[in-house]
Amino acid sequence: MSKTTDTDDTVREQTTPLVDVDDPEDRVDPVQQRVIGGSLVNVCDEMGHKLTRTSYSSIIRESEDFGCALLDEQARQIAETDSTPLQMGPIPAYVRGVVELFEERGDVFREGDVVLHNDPYYGASHAPDFAVVVPVFHEGDLTAFSVTTAHHLDVGADKPGTCIIDTVDAYSESVRLDAVKIVEGGQRNETAWQLIEDNIRVPDMVMGDIEAQISAARVGSDRLQDLFAEFGHDTVKLAGQAMMDYSERMLRQEVADLPDGTYSAEGYIDGYLASEDDAERDVFLAVDLEVDGSDVRVDLSRCADQVDGRPINMPFEGTVVPAVLLVIRSTLLDTETVELVPQNHGITRPVHVHAPEGSIANPRFPAPTIARFCPGNRLADLTMQALADVVPERTCAGIGNLKICTYSGMTDDDEYWVYMDITSGSYGARPGKDGLDATDTLYANTRNNPIEDIESHYPLQVSRYELREDSEGAGQQRGGIGAVREMEFQTPGRVSIEGDGSKYPPWGFDGGHDGTPGAVAVEGEIDADTPRSKMSNKSMAEGQSLRTVGPSGGGWGDPEQRDPAAVAEDVRDGLVSRERAETVYGVVLTEDLGVDATATADRRGD
Amino acid sequence: MKILGTDIGGTFTDLYLVDDVANEQTIHKVSTTPEDPAEGVVTGVSELCEMTGTAPAAIDYVLHGTTIATNAVLEHEGVTTGMITTENYRDVTHIGRHQRPQNYSVQQDIPWQNRPLVERRYRKTVPERLTATGTVETPLDEAAVREAATELRGDGVEAIAVCFLFSYLDDTHEQRAKEVVEAVCPETYVTASSEVYPQFREFERFTTTAMNAFIGPRVADYISRFKEELVAAGVDAELHVMQSNGGIATEELVVEKPVSLLFSGPAAGVLGGKWRSGADTADEGANNTITLDVGGTSADIGIIDAGEIVEANVRETSIGGYPVMAPMIDIETIGAGGGSIAYVDQGGAFRVGPQSAGAVPGPVSYGRGGTDATVTDAHVALGRIREEFFLGGEMELDTAGARSAIAADIADPLGMDTVTAALGILDIVNNNMANAIRAKTVQKGRDPGTFTLVAFGGAGPLHAADLARELGVERTLIPRNPGVLSAVGLSTTDLQYDYINTEFTLLSAADSEAMAATYEDLVTAAREQLRADGVDPERVTVEMTADCRYEGQGYEVTVPVGSDGDLDSLSTIRERFDRAHAAEFGHNFEDNAVEVVNERVTGYGEMPSADRLALPERATPAEEHVLASEDVQFSVDGEVRTHETPFYDRTDLRSGHTLDGPVIVGEKDSTIVVPPDFRAAVQEYGDIELTRK
Repeated sequence: MSKTTDTDDTVREQTTPLVDVDDPEDRVDPVQQRVIGGSLVNVCDEMGHKLTRTSYSSIIRESEDFGCALLDEQARQIAETDSTPLQMGPIPAYVRGVVELFEERGDVFREGDVVLHNDPYYGASHAPDFAVVVPVFHEGDLTAFSVTTAHHLDVGADKPGTCIIDTVDAYSESVRLDAVKIVEGGQRNETAWQLIEDNIRVPDMVMGDIEAQISAARVGSDRLQDLFAEFGHDTVKLAGQAMMDYSERMLRQEVADLPDGTYSAEGYIDGYLASEDDAERDVFLAVDLEVDGSDVRVDLSRCADQVDGRPINMPFEGTVVPAVLLVIRSTLLDTETVELVPQNHGITRPVHVHAPEGSIANPRFPAPTIARFCPGNRLADLTMQALADVVPERTCAGIGNLKICTYSGMTDDDEYWVYMDITSGSYGARPGKDGLDATDTLYANTRNNPIEDIESHYPLQVSRYELREDSEGAGQQRGGIGAVREMEFQTPGRVSIEGDGSKYPPWGFDGGHDGTPGAVAVEGEIDADTPRSKMSNKSMAEGQSLRTVGPSGGGWGDPEQRDPAAVAEDVRDGLVSRERAETVYGVVLTEDLGVDATATADRRGD
Repeated sequence: MKILGTDIGGTFTDLYLVDDVANEQTIHKVSTTPEDPAEGVVTGVSELCEMTGTAPAAIDYVLHGTTIATNAVLEHEGVTTGMITTENYRDVTHIGRHQRPQNYSVQQDIPWQNRPLVERRYRKTVPERLTATGTVETPLDEAAVREAATELRGDGVEAIAVCFLFSYLDDTHEQRAKEVVEAVCPETYVTASSEVYPQFREFERFTTTAMNAFIGPRVADYISRFKEELVAAGVDAELHVMQSNGGIATEELVVEKPVSLLFSGPAAGVLGGKWRSGADTADEGANNTITLDVGGTSADIGIIDAGEIVEANVRETSIGGYPVMAPMIDIETIGAGGGSIAYVDQGGAFRVGPQSAGAVPGPVSYGRGGTDATVTDAHVALGRIREEFFLGGEMELDTAGARSAIAADIADPLGMDTVTAALGILDIVNNNMANAIRAKTVQKGRDPGTFTLVAFGGAGPLHAADLARELGVERTLIPRNPGVLSAVGLSTTDLQYDYINTEFTLLSAADSEAMAATYEDLVTAAREQLRADGVDPERVTVEMTADCRYEGQGYEVTVPVGSDGDLDSLSTIRERFDRAHAAEFGHNFEDNAVEVVNERVTGYGEMPSADRLALPERATPAEEHVLASEDVQFSVDGEVRTHETPFYDRTDLRSGHTLDGPVIVGEKDSTIVVPPDFRAAVQEYGDIELTRK
């Protein structure tokens, strides 16, 4: 059960199983499993706390676009914190990528190393999400990894910021960090730091954020050592494996309850809507989800081919797999309805995802991938739609996808300012509940930045942030409502947008209506009527404003079945007009916006 | 001077009368009257006065801890509330930070969308806008405010929150709008965000203000009824109420700012723990304290670091899922208490809580219809709680029922024996509490080994020694009257008021004279408030601090910036911040610019507080007072061992008695477990100290 070498001379030997057994749950008593399990999550939370408190850019400290996790020596996730899933899901793939690169170049992990990594062809989610990997040793053996990931404001691409939709390959979208030891055996590699710093437009923020990531990862390593000292190294390892087995069993139980069969969904994302190339304009995605006993096989073979020269390709390990897993977990092990099942490697075992090489869901190097967020989230949405076929009661109708914007410009001192803003999406209606309004969706769960923070630090004014009206996906349960957000430039600058959801509406379910697409408009230049969801480093004049409109999610069930009182509430709240209440829901209201029961019954033909 | 402290809990209302002239302290407990909580208090006061021969009119101060505000939020039973806010930002409180509370859930609800404090139909917008530097971009449209107020009056709202962007920089618009609203709706409770908590981050500030409005009329009604009933009972004293920050405030102030009462009850417990541990006396070297108040459904944890009660960062405080920005003691509440239910989940994992059997049906051993095995049942099954102590022997305990529930729910499914399962329940609930304590100590760079653990509440003393062992705490104290410590804590506090000015200023570019002038204004406001409360100026102290961060960071560290109204030099403040940042986070950036976000002043008015009364010294050996000796099971070094264990009644113990574990000490509302590896020593003031042998 344990490897025997003390001096590992290859990374493969370092990452072979250490204290690995088939029956960990029988070897650690149930009480200790709970105690150690709780402590491991506690460690990850402490890492997250430290990272938010010491980072600089609002994308980390306010929006919480970061992840923290502990992994074992085989890069299997043991525990994570509760920030955004899209940062935590890919962490094991990052570490596997680092191991692979070390193997290729004959490197090994040593105590005191800190590895910085962002290569999407070696496990990274996309280039702006840097991982900081700290190897943890016990009596000379590599036994764990303490890892933080975070989205950086600028990563040295050919345009400011990271919402880049127009780039040719992996070299033009970021400074490439292939498992770089920025600290080696405790010694900072100053040359590496300098090289990174020199390639970034806002070095104070980004380098400070990397430091914060390192401090947080080291806290994870130190606390793990404390746990080894308290409970014994092997016991902690076995408790971690027991947690994995538990989570795996919980998911398998749920999958086994589903009828075997293949369930499918397909649709498009907004590509480059103005392009004359069909393959770029409307990008086809399809999910074929097979339930086989307690396993789920998700086949993405029908998705479009990779789009060369357009960064909407999705890294397979770092984006596609986490997107699919997130939906399977959030529906079958929904924390609202099922006991909290720890998120760890065990959750991944019953799920097998396949996409052929060269697919948009598994591109070949060096296809660019930096704008993979929206297609990935749509893939999650299609996974949901496939599941709606078999477990409708646990799913929701189509979600409104997001738009992510980079605002930039130059200060009077000829220095760059760069600000990244994540707009809100919306959820589709649920079987018993309306959809969530204006929220981050599916595999992302970040926070917006307060208006009072944005305006205090950047020459921008958020001149409007409100819900849309008369846009909901009608249904017995209505879809969530998207938000309108307007940004006015106080000095000349530029804006880039990576987005989706302006052409294809979120899908309705079981008689529910589709939702309403979003839009992008620039005052005096671009109206909202032509569907558009992307923008490439467009220049903006002083006083000019940009409006982004989030899509409203799909409805669930026949709108004429909706409780008339609920319709009246939405009318009183100004979210639905009287006319719409009557024409779409068949609900007739009185002068003072009460339900006219007789007229409603007539209208609905009851 | 006679001071009455009263704390209303779910089951009991505790009263505590201090007479600092006669040097008497008297405790009384009556049943809580949930319909009208004031009624129970008035009954208790009358009985207490009779017991002590005190004329009600002779009571000088009534100090009160209350859950009225907390319950109004948790049960969503505030009033219909309106909001007047800046045009184009109608939905700030609905969209929030656009983050879902749970990562892995499709069926979840978002509290502020599902149960809004102010429904959208009652959120009216008016033209007005300040910029990020506080200058007026759009003047306030007073006619629009009037129109909005008129509509809201027509809608029958009972409270209105005025919430404008950037009002923390300049409150002129909000104040003017408030005046207009009050003129239109003279009967309505009106509150403005700049007076509730003038800090940036609009969602959190607006939500706090909406909550203030939502609960304001409820709190105002409660306080006035409470006062009336006191007067009717002959008590003509000043009424002061405990705030979440551990300070007490006058009735007028809490009616204006009820959102400051959300942790009123637990805050009193932390103060009580601090007082008993000697944290506020310099001589005992015990100025680092962890307070642990364990009741039936939850455990509240507070920290006193170097004599100061640790306050929460306003970024991290919430109630019922809503963020709330109000100064409060950093109290960690977890679902771990005597009623916490133990079970084996679907996947075969052994879990305890957070679901609780509560007071009804309660643990199986209470025989009130409870069927789920709880933490209390584990103690009963192990023989640690004895009927004759439990509520003074008023209730029978169903030991066999507790054992069979543990066997059925835990032991059988996991293939262990009942005793091991019962000890396992305690290990798990102890670990949940230990993790919560670690989050407030180890995670913040505090070594629990240098802290005194003060454990109280009905269930705290049952778990204290095991927790101390797990955390490496060397000294544990079970205070005198652990069941009523919150009421006791009320009498130990000072009047406290916070004043804040938010202005983003780089320290390197700050004008020290202007900054000194700002502080002078805040200090004056604090002193004037305390003078108005009738506090002797000799007994007033002011604390000057600033919330600072490195420019670009999003979180602030609070540092002292002066004393007695005089501002320290900016370079001193800078150095202090660098040191504080390093202490909190392990590193600092001496080359980076420091930004001041909030200037703060806290004014304290010292109240005449009670001395601790000495317990008589022992006259006879402790052994003479053994009531019974029974087999009790303990977990020692991971093994289950049965020990013949003597039981004592705490009222028989005297100062100077020491007892070697295993020992169990019972009293009316609590039980102290002294495991085999611990020793108990009765202290001068009647507290019992537990240490490792």
